[in-house]
Amino acid sequence: MRITQRAVALTSLQGLNRNLDAVGRLQQQLTSGRLISAPSDSPTGTNRAMQTRSDQAASAQQQRNITDAKSWLEQTDSALQEMLDTARRVRDLTVQGSSTGAQSDVSAQAIATEVKSLREGLLSLANRTIGGRPLFGGVTPGTKAYDATGAYVGQAGPPVTRRVSDTEVVRVDTTGPEAFGPAGADLFAIVDKIATDVVSNPTNLAGHLTDLDSVMKGVLTAVADVGSRAARVEREEQVNADRSLTLSSQLAETENIDLPNTIMRLQMQQVGYEAALSATAKALQPTLLDYLR
Amino acid sequence: MSTFGSLNAATTALWAQRRALDVTGQNIANVNTEGYSRQRVELRSIGGSVVPAFFSTSNGLGGGVNADEVTRIRDAFLEGRGHTEHANSSRLTVENETFELVEQAFREPGDTGIQSLLSEMWSGWEDVANQPQDEAARGQVLKRLETLVGGIHFSQASLGAQWTQSRESLDVLVADVNASASSIADLNQAIQRANQSGLPANDLSDQRDLLVMKLADQVGATVRHGDNGVVDVLVGGMTLVSGSTAASLATAGTYSVDGVTADPPRIVTGSGGYTVRAGGTAEGQLNSLNTIIPSYRQALDATAVSLATSLNTAHAAGFDLNGAAGTPLLGSSGGPITAASLTVLVTDPKKVAASSVGPTAGVPALDHGNADAIAQLRRSTTGTDANYRKMIVELGVQAAVAGRNVDIQAVITTQVDSARESVAGVNIDEEMTNMLSFQHAYSAAGRLITAIDETLDKLINGTGRVGL
Repeated sequence: MRITQRAVALTSLQGLNRNLDAVGRLQQQLTSGRLISAPSDSPTGTNRAMQTRSDQAASAQQQRNITDAKSWLEQTDSALQEMLDTARRVRDLTVQGSSTGAQSDVSAQAIATEVKSLREGLLSLANRTIGGRPLFGGVTPGTKAYDATGAYVGQAGPPVTRRVSDTEVVRVDTTGPEAFGPAGADLFAIVDKIATDVVSNPTNLAGHLTDLDSVMKGVLTAVADVGSRAARVEREEQVNADRSLTLSSQLAETENIDLPNTIMRLQMQQVGYEAALSATAKALQPTLLDYLR
Repeated sequence: MSTFGSLNAATTALWAQRRALDVTGQNIANVNTEGYSRQRVELRSIGGSVVPAFFSTSNGLGGGVNADEVTRIRDAFLEGRGHTEHANSSRLTVENETFELVEQAFREPGDTGIQSLLSEMWSGWEDVANQPQDEAARGQVLKRLETLVGGIHFSQASLGAQWTQSRESLDVLVADVNASASSIADLNQAIQRANQSGLPANDLSDQRDLLVMKLADQVGATVRHGDNGVVDVLVGGMTLVSGSTAASLATAGTYSVDGVTADPPRIVTGSGGYTVRAGGTAEGQLNSLNTIIPSYRQALDATAVSLATSLNTAHAAGFDLNGAAGTPLLGSSGGPITAASLTVLVTDPKKVAASSVGPTAGVPALDHGNADAIAQLRRSTTGTDANYRKMIVELGVQAAVAGRNVDIQAVITTQVDSARESVAGVNIDEEMTNMLSFQHAYSAAGRLITAIDETLDKLINGTGRVGL
């Protein structure tokens, strides 16, 4: 077959270009640190990378949701605990007030005053807010769960929940009636009655004490409920943290280069390129001219 | 044979070898000239008289050598193959470039692509779900929605800009093709005249063939050989150059990306306006203009419509901070919803319908059920995200195939080119060898003249002088 210098040069040039192209591609991967810089680099990898990124965003958001859920539950827990303490004080005072023989009118008045002020404290605790929302108000758009008279002004509706994973939502709120008993027979109404009856009708106090105990049991149940929900949220937080780590490494695996491997390949490609260069130089240089006198 | 016959033969030899050396020189000079075909002097011995007559008989010996004809060495079949492969190569290159630009328009995978804007927007809904009373969270989700819409607009606009650019370069291409065609016609005429008057037209032919190859690249031209070294150039079955007359091509069709279906861009004959099936770069550009770019614009339109439909449907199921049912979130700034006309309709953060329950006795509920439901749209297997991802994967596959095709075609084209070069190109070794043979032949012819000269000298000056 007849071969000309230009034909040799053409094929050599194509080989060199291909080599240089491969070197350039590896160089680009190394400098950008990314294996996939366009969908065509790996269509399936692109799909996985996009999906993983979207999952990562979801996971980060769920972490925020979890933090928010935890603060709701913690606030609720602390409010309920404080209210329990106050209610215990009310109970002590009631017991004290029901021992009618041992006290004067003045001390009964003092008990009544203290119980009244404790009731104010209970109401203000029950109206504690988080981000402007009353903790025990359900879905009310207002700022209070109970008004000054102790009537529930919250709004019943769907529970307030936080999405803690793709599939799970955790309820974070506790409505007033759930925690403090039904309207009319709730904690505040009972305490109000105690404050009145401790002066006017101490004999009724025994009945109120029973009611108070049962309402306090309800509050305790609510505390336990909040605690178990908090435990669940914490478990989900752990799961989410693990998932976020897995997703990061998954994305890195899909999208990022394997550094030693890429450097190795670049080195090999460079050796190949240099070999091609020297082969081309050898093939193109000599002509018959070199051997003619 | 006459006394001086052999002198004449030696002269023709000297002349012929000189000519051959000249041609060798021309070959060497053009070893790197693109499109140059090597030339060869056709040496023919001059025979004796063919028709014997009574008084003029030939002794059968020849009268030297004839070196009138210089031929151009070129393989017409390989040239034809070269035209085809060059056209394919140009077409695939343009298509591959188009795919690369489309990929750039979508900026995937990455933090700036539509997918990540979508993710941020969905996350924003969960923020609203966490803080339904907070107008800042509500405002943020609207801003994120606007950023997403902006991202969709941007991708659509870059596809549109790419289309416009391709459309303009098609016009430039056709103008260039017409100029080349008329040059070919002129060259054809010159070649025809030269051939008719027996002059060599090899270099003109080389120039013309180079232009033909350029046309093969640009519009997939093929040739039909005619008499006197003239070629006709055909594009998609239509004669572009016939002998010394050139027809012209023109572009037709819309200059607006939105008018592609109604009036697709195409190449037509300059007179008559008949559609021409062009190949090469033009075919690649037409494919980009009529198929590739519009299909991704449509896909983006579909994404916009699906986003608007799913968001609006979900939003309508909820109630805003005032207790009113959700109004459409996304709409069009005019005409049907497309990726370009998509716009956010809700601007008041209060109007974000986060609640899944309506007002009770006139008091709106501060619920977050609907915001959460909207945020979950991201996981729908038939939703915007899934469909968008599917489109990007499809783009990736097509772009990868286009890239591979270009690579394969590049190998084939280079092989054909080097085969053409093997036939038509100059081999320096060969020219050196030829040069030596011609040089030696020239010296030998010179010696012959000296020998005859000496013989004649003996005859003229030495004869009849015996004993002097």
